[in-house]
Amino acid sequence: MYYSDQRSSRGLWATFAVCALLGAGLFFVPAFIIRPFRYQSPRALWLAMAVHDRAPRWTLFATLLCLVFALLLWRNSRRWGRTVLTIAMLLVGFTAVMARLNYFEWMFHPLDSAQFIGEAQSKLDAGEMIMAVRFGSDARAYPISEMAYHHVLNDWVGGVPVAVTY
Amino acid sequence: MNGRLLHFYLAGINNQNFLMRDKETGSWWQQITGKAVYGPLKGASLELVPNDELSFGQWKSEVSTGRVLVPVAKYEKEYDSKWETEVAKLPVVISFPGTELKSRDVVVGVTIEGMARAYPWDTLVKQSPVVDHVHGTPLLIVVGPDRKSFRVFVSRIDGKDAEFFLKGDTKDWVLLDTATASEWNFQGCATAGPASGKCLDRVPALKDYWFDWRNYHPDTTFYKH
Repeated sequence: MYYSDQRSSRGLWATFAVCALLGAGLFFVPAFIIRPFRYQSPRALWLAMAVHDRAPRWTLFATLLCLVFALLLWRNSRRWGRTVLTIAMLLVGFTAVMARLNYFEWMFHPLDSAQFIGEAQSKLDAGEMIMAVRFGSDARAYPISEMAYHHVLNDWVGGVPVAVTY
Repeated sequence: MNGRLLHFYLAGINNQNFLMRDKETGSWWQQITGKAVYGPLKGASLELVPNDELSFGQWKSEVSTGRVLVPVAKYEKEYDSKWETEVAKLPVVISFPGTELKSRDVVVGVTIEGMARAYPWDTLVKQSPVVDHVHGTPLLIVVGPDRKSFRVFVSRIDGKDAEFFLKGDTKDWVLLDTATASEWNFQGCATAGPASGKCLDRVPALKDYWFDWRNYHPDTTFYKH
């Protein structure tokens, strides 16, 4: 009985470890691939996008599954075992939360409610670079210093929906 | 996209050109190409709207009731007025050895019927106006009076190829063409002479780093003189 208990406990630990690693990987693998200042190969990028799209659902599933194994292991674990279980569960839970958040927008906040003023009121320096779009009589200037931070702006110009990007 | 309104947000980075996604379908789009690279709309392309990269002063002189995007007070301190010199210092992750251009060299890129050509910015500033041919189309590439704004036109007046040069004997920035000896402004319209009132056709052009332009236009040539 003792041996089979130990064996099943080992199996349970191994399953828990796989579950925790897969769960964490769902967030960390795409995050690692799509990081700035690094080369993205087409295949790695494809993998990152594919995993990223599935991560919200899969990380939740992984968290619940890991939790089941963790609860089963908890009873027969000593202090170090419980510490490992807690840390691993926190990690998996963290990835489940992160998979639902867009941290790129923490670095560069989106421009949700864009406001415009007349050219005469603008304090912009004459030498400042802008991106200009015009449809009919609707002429807009998007300062590059501002767009280089926000990167994307959804706007309407003369009745035409445009995405301004820099 | 196909009559459907899409809203985009920043979603990632691909070799220093950003990726955005649309809220409606979750597809991933590459900024420089406007193409969906992954997701339900994969393969679709956004339509490029006519646009200009100008100095504020140049733009103001051309529009009468233009409106300017206001900085968001909360984030204004994060805007970097020296972004260009800052970004120029950042490392690049893809490079294309074998040409004389450096990765961070700024170019003006033009595509005519799939044929891409890049014009190094420094050369343009020195030589503007530049007349060149891409895929049989005569092009006029001009840097504005502010030496910052640029535009590209089809260098053809009433179906006839023309050359352009800067009129030297005036303080104002005026172009002269060799076909009709008319005067032209930076908007590509004739202001005096036989062609008066006519405007040249615009050609979409993109100011970009050489490595990025070259990455998305593998067969690009570049202007050298």
